[in-house]
Amino acid sequence: MALLEVDGLKTYFKTQEGTLKAVDGISFNLDKGQAMGLAGESGCGKTTAALSIMKLLPANGFIAGGSINFMKQDMSKLTGDKLRAIRWRDISIIFQGAMNALNPVKRVGDQIVEPILLHEKVDEDVAVKRVKELFELVGINPNRIREYPHEFSGGMRQRVMIAMALACRPKLVICDEPTTALDVMIQAQILQLLKNLQQELELAMIIISHDLSVLAETCDLLSIMYAGKIVERSSAVEVFANPQHPYTKGLIAAFPNIKGERKMPASIAGNPPNLINPPVGCRFADRCYAVQDLCRQEEPPLIEVLPGHFAACHFVKPRGV
Amino acid sequence: MAKDLLVVEDLQVWFPVRRGFFESLTSKEQRYVKAVDGVSFNIKEREIFCLVGESGCGKTTTGKAILRLVDPTGGNVRYYGTGLNAAMMKDAIERAVSKKLISKAEAEQALSTGAIDVRKLPKDKMKMLRQKMQMIFQDPYESLNPKQSIYDIVAEPLVVNNLGANEADRENRVAKALDDAGLRPPKHFMWRYPHEVSGGQRQRVGIAGALVLEPAFLVADEPVSMLDVSIRSEILKLMLDLRDKKGLTYLFITHDLSVAYVFSDRIGIMYLGKIVELGPTEEVIKKPMHPYTKALISVVPKPDPRMKTEKIILKGERPDPAHIPPGCRFHPRCPYAMEKCKVEEPDAIYVSQEHWVSCWLAAGEGKTE
Repeated sequence: MALLEVDGLKTYFKTQEGTLKAVDGISFNLDKGQAMGLAGESGCGKTTAALSIMKLLPANGFIAGGSINFMKQDMSKLTGDKLRAIRWRDISIIFQGAMNALNPVKRVGDQIVEPILLHEKVDEDVAVKRVKELFELVGINPNRIREYPHEFSGGMRQRVMIAMALACRPKLVICDEPTTALDVMIQAQILQLLKNLQQELELAMIIISHDLSVLAETCDLLSIMYAGKIVERSSAVEVFANPQHPYTKGLIAAFPNIKGERKMPASIAGNPPNLINPPVGCRFADRCYAVQDLCRQEEPPLIEVLPGHFAACHFVKPRGV
Repeated sequence: MAKDLLVVEDLQVWFPVRRGFFESLTSKEQRYVKAVDGVSFNIKEREIFCLVGESGCGKTTTGKAILRLVDPTGGNVRYYGTGLNAAMMKDAIERAVSKKLISKAEAEQALSTGAIDVRKLPKDKMKMLRQKMQMIFQDPYESLNPKQSIYDIVAEPLVVNNLGANEADRENRVAKALDDAGLRPPKHFMWRYPHEVSGGQRQRVGIAGALVLEPAFLVADEPVSMLDVSIRSEILKLMLDLRDKKGLTYLFITHDLSVAYVFSDRIGIMYLGKIVELGPTEEVIKKPMHPYTKALISVVPKPDPRMKTEKIILKGERPDPAHIPPGCRFHPRCPYAMEKCKVEEPDAIYVSQEHWVSCWLAAGEGKTE
C-alpha cells in the first residue's frame, strides 16, 4: 500500500457567486521516498489540493468527496486531536512565500522547538539539540538558532522553513512553490538541498510549482493539473519525453530553453475557465489547438496510454497497455 | 550600422548610509551603499538591451537612474532620440549652463551632437523628456491602482503632462494605447477595473500606460516574472511587435537568463553594481567568458529531466553593496580566484568586436582548469 493514496478528491469553496470547484476529482498515489511534482497555472487548484491533504482549508472550503488515505487513515474524515497528531509530525508543509511565513518577533530556534515539544515527549534540551542538527542538515550554522528572522537573508530563511518542516521527522513534506521568490543561484542551492534531503531521509515529497523546469530538476513523478483536474500523470522523464495531452505539450513548449535553439517559445492563448460553472466537456477545449465537437460535449476520462502514463484527452489512444 | 539612442557612461548611484549620532562624531568618513558603481553601455536604435543579474545587483537602479526616477551620483546618460525640439533643448542647455550644471564646452558639444545629458537636465525638462522614455513595471498586481478604472490608469500620464485637447481626444489616445497593447476591443476594457481582468491583461494595461505618451524608449523591469509561464511569451511577443511597428528601443531588466536569451539582442551581466560581461546575446550565452556568467547559465533549470548538466552552484549569497570587496568584486565567490583578483580590479577585455569581459582569466592570467 502506498504511503499516500488520493482518490477522487473534490475540494469546493462556498463563494457569493456559487460553489467554486477548485479541485474536482483528482487521484494519485505516492510511495515512501518518491517526489511528485504538481504543475499547472495559477488558479488550477494545485495549492488547494495540497492544503486538502493537510486539511488546512480556509473556512469556506470543504472536501466534497473522495478520500485521502495517508498511512491507512482517511485524512478527509479526521478531526480535532487525531488530525493535530498527524499534522507536522507525519506531514509537514513548506509554504509559498515562506520567506515571510516566519514569526518576526520569535527567535528562529524557538519557532522550530515548538512543534517538537508539542508532538514528542522530550525536554527542551533534546529539542534544541535536534534543532542544531537540523540547521546543520540544511546548511545553516547551528550557532544561529538564537537569531531573529530579519537577520537571515531570503535563501537562509527558506532553509529555516525547510528545517522547520523536517523538525518531527515527517514522512511526507509538501513544498508549495518552494523557490518562486528566490534568485536563480539561491533557487539552485535550495533545489539541490531538497533533492539531497529527499534521498537521505527517504522523504515522500509533493512539490507544487507553475515552473515545469523546477519540477523537471527535482521530481520522479509529474502530474499536470488544469482547471481542477489532473490531465496527465506519469514519471517526469516520460511526461517530458512523450507528452500526450495538448495542454502538457503547450506547457512544455512555453519554456525558453537556454541550451536549445534561440527562438521565442509558444504560448497558450486564452484563459482557464470559470470554475463556478465549468464547461460541460473537456475543460481545456477553448484553448486547445485540436478541439473537436466531441470535446465540448463529453468530458474525456483519464486513461492509461502507456503503462503508468495517464492522460485525459479524447484523442489519445491507449498503446501497449 | 544603427545609431546609438542612449549612451550610459560610468553611471554611479550611491546611497549614503545613515549614521548614528555617536558614529558621526567618531568617524568622518561617510559610507555609501554603492548600488550602481560605474556602469557603461550603449543602446542602439530599435535594439533590445538586457541587463541580467541577481536581485540587489543594481539592475533596477540602473534603469531608474536612466529615467531619473532616482538621481545618479555620477556619470553621464546621453539620450540622442527625438524628444525635445531644438528650441526647448537650447533653453534647457542654457539654463543648465547658468546653473553651472555643465560647462560651456559641454553645452556646445551637446548642441552640436544633439545628445541630451539626462543627468543634468532641469526637472521640468526632464518631465518632458520622460514622455519619450517610459517604464514598464514588474508586478501587474501591485502597480495598478485597484480603485481606478483602466481608462483612468492609462489616461493618467496624459493628465499629468497636460496632453490631449479635450476629453474625447484623451479617450481616443487611451483607446489607441489599449489597442496597441493588444486589449481589443478597447471599449470592452476601458471601463473595467484591474481586478476584473487576468494577470496577462493587467500587464498589458501597464504597457498601455507606458505607450499612451508614444515613447521611443522603454525600460521594462522584469515585465514577465510575475506571470504564468503559459502567457509570458504572449507579452514578450507583444513587446517585439511594438518594436517592429513603432521602432521602440528597450532596456530589458531580468534575472531570468532564459528569457533574456530568446528576447534580447545584447546582454550585459551585472554583479554587485558593475557590468562584468557584455556582448551579443547568442555569443554571451553560448561562449560565456566570465566565471559568474558561466555559473548563472549552468543553474538555469532546464525544462527536461533528460538534460542533466553540470551545475556550478556558487556558495553563499551575494555580498553586500555597502561592503564591496577590493580587487575583482566577484573574487570571494569565484571558483578560479587568484591572488591578483584580490587586489586589482580587472578592466574590460574585448574577446571579439562587441563582446567584452572584465576578468583576469580573459587577460591571460592563470588557468581555468
